[in-house]
Amino acid sequence: MPLFRKILIANRGEIAVRVARTCRVMGIPTVAVYSEADREALHTREADEAVPIGPAEAARSYLNINALVSAATKAGADAIHPGYGFLSQSGDFVDAVSAAGLTFIGPPAEAHRRMGDKQGARRLMASAGVPIVPGYDGDDQSDATLRAQAQRLGFPVMVKPSRGGGGKGMHVVGRPEDLGSALAASRREATAAFGHDALVLERFVERARHVEVQVLADGHGRMVHLFERECSIQRRHQKVIEETPSPALTPEQRARLCAAGLAAARSVSYVNAGTVEFMLDRAGEFYFLEMNTRLQVEHPVTEALTSLDIVRLQIEVAAGKPLPLGQQDVVARGHALECRLYAEDPERDDLPSPGTILHLTPPEGPGVRFDCGVAAGSEVSVHYDPLLAKVVTWGRDRAESIERMRAALDRTAVLGVVTNKARLRAILEHPAFLAGDLHTGFIEEHLGELTSRGCPPAEALAALAAALRRRRPVDGDGQAAAPASDPWTGLGPWRIAGGA
Amino acid sequence: MKLLCPGEDEHDVEVRESAAGLIAIVDGESLAVEVSEVAPGTFVARSGERRETFHCVRKGDEIHLSWRGTAYRLEVGRSGSSLPRQALRGLEAPMPGKVIAVKASPGQTVAKGDEILVVEAMKMENAIRAPRDGTIKSIAVKLGDMVSPGVTLAELE
Repeated sequence: MPLFRKILIANRGEIAVRVARTCRVMGIPTVAVYSEADREALHTREADEAVPIGPAEAARSYLNINALVSAATKAGADAIHPGYGFLSQSGDFVDAVSAAGLTFIGPPAEAHRRMGDKQGARRLMASAGVPIVPGYDGDDQSDATLRAQAQRLGFPVMVKPSRGGGGKGMHVVGRPEDLGSALAASRREATAAFGHDALVLERFVERARHVEVQVLADGHGRMVHLFERECSIQRRHQKVIEETPSPALTPEQRARLCAAGLAAARSVSYVNAGTVEFMLDRAGEFYFLEMNTRLQVEHPVTEALTSLDIVRLQIEVAAGKPLPLGQQDVVARGHALECRLYAEDPERDDLPSPGTILHLTPPEGPGVRFDCGVAAGSEVSVHYDPLLAKVVTWGRDRAESIERMRAALDRTAVLGVVTNKARLRAILEHPAFLAGDLHTGFIEEHLGELTSRGCPPAEALAALAAALRRRRPVDGDGQAAAPASDPWTGLGPWRIAGGA
Repeated sequence: MKLLCPGEDEHDVEVRESAAGLIAIVDGESLAVEVSEVAPGTFVARSGERRETFHCVRKGDEIHLSWRGTAYRLEVGRSGSSLPRQALRGLEAPMPGKVIAVKASPGQTVAKGDEILVVEAMKMENAIRAPRDGTIKSIAVKLGDMVSPGVTLAELE
């Protein structure tokens, strides 16, 4: 007897695909939802049913609580998995799901609200004995007060929305004269993304690492951690590469960090999967940043390390079952690495690169996992996050997972949109990365300017020309009729100079 | 066929059939090459004993190539004509998005690097900055406008 009759997945992209796969393993039928922009998206095919929930703008579709709850009810679902982002950390969404008699696969509304408010969370952590970064979390949000507090903390200072996550609206301000525009931008981004404009200031710790603890708790008082992840390789506060275990921690530091993660989660009587994020300074001291009350993008590295399926455990716990394992049963083996493949152009300041995926060859090989939200023919639209896929590798040790990652990235071919693959590859070659000497400014410090890929070698041009020749296109424009998977037919007239 | 690389480089590539198979002439240098398509968009090039799997797709005048792990985007230049190069002058929309802030007005003097507009796409704010010192001649968009790549956002004189 499956734990739920049917699960609606209130998300899109790779995470909706990933959740659907575990549901399939568990024998639970799934319902995908889609906006008008996602009618043909991959995630709609991976579920058993797919229902429209509104127009392309997320605010009117993936963030539309009423549309999602009524879609679930209409489809006969008895549970909703929120994925990450969108409504995954919304207490109001949890309330609406419960009010409709459905189960929310995630923590209770109270945990979202208390951790979602960064001002309150900082105060709560301080009282729970979890170290916090020096900062300002007061209610007075006037520019004058924020300015005075920034002066007190000293520059550079970090401005971040009190609500939200994913790096949205966060700005590091190096000079007092730039504070005004950063406050305005942060408020604007916070309002657009989270509907709330309160800000928190924190001292910006230079060359800090980002480490986080994965926790899992059931409704019967049992809570375990699944060790840490290090996510120091970031671009614009968005994680790019994550790994576990962190190369920075000694066993004693790891034990202290994981204990602090559990203490943070206990302080809000946490249930389900969650992640407690910390900043680790050069002296090895760590400070609470925030708790993400949801499944994390980078959860697959922990799954590779522990051989657990976190989504499955989320579903079991949400169904009221006790956690099937205690702390001593959580065993870490080897090392796991994740690279996020974004539709962004590293040669053009990481500008988003929307378009149509014309071709996709996934990586394969020992110890390789590919969580992907697109396929050939998929539209990468401007409406949503530019994350295309995650490449995850596992190895006996860090060196092996890095080797496997290099080979996996080289095998991965995404054509049609520009991706950040060249940057990922450059990071994996960098001596500082290989030495495990990471910090959140790593990319800016070592790889800010990525040199142009330039031209393919002559042998590639020769092969390319021969490929074009082999598939001599038809005359005339039959583009609309050509299937997306067939790259040559009907792509318009052309000729080879001198050849014909 | 002329192939244009993202920089300014241009290559002359020509394919001829010979008794021994296809010969590609790249910038005057001849290379024997045989290519077969093994799956849509996936090809294997054979040169003697060597085998190389690569991926390529053509869309209009754009050619997308993945060769030994690196992705390239090339343009086909038709013979006799050279394609207009889309120069990124900094005041054109770099990607589709929405104008969420206009920070300068016509007549205003700006220094290189000053923010002129902010365009939001994929939930990211992207500042459009002055590429050089100058005076704003005109602002072609207003707050809330949706823009597509290459659209002129402002003129600088």
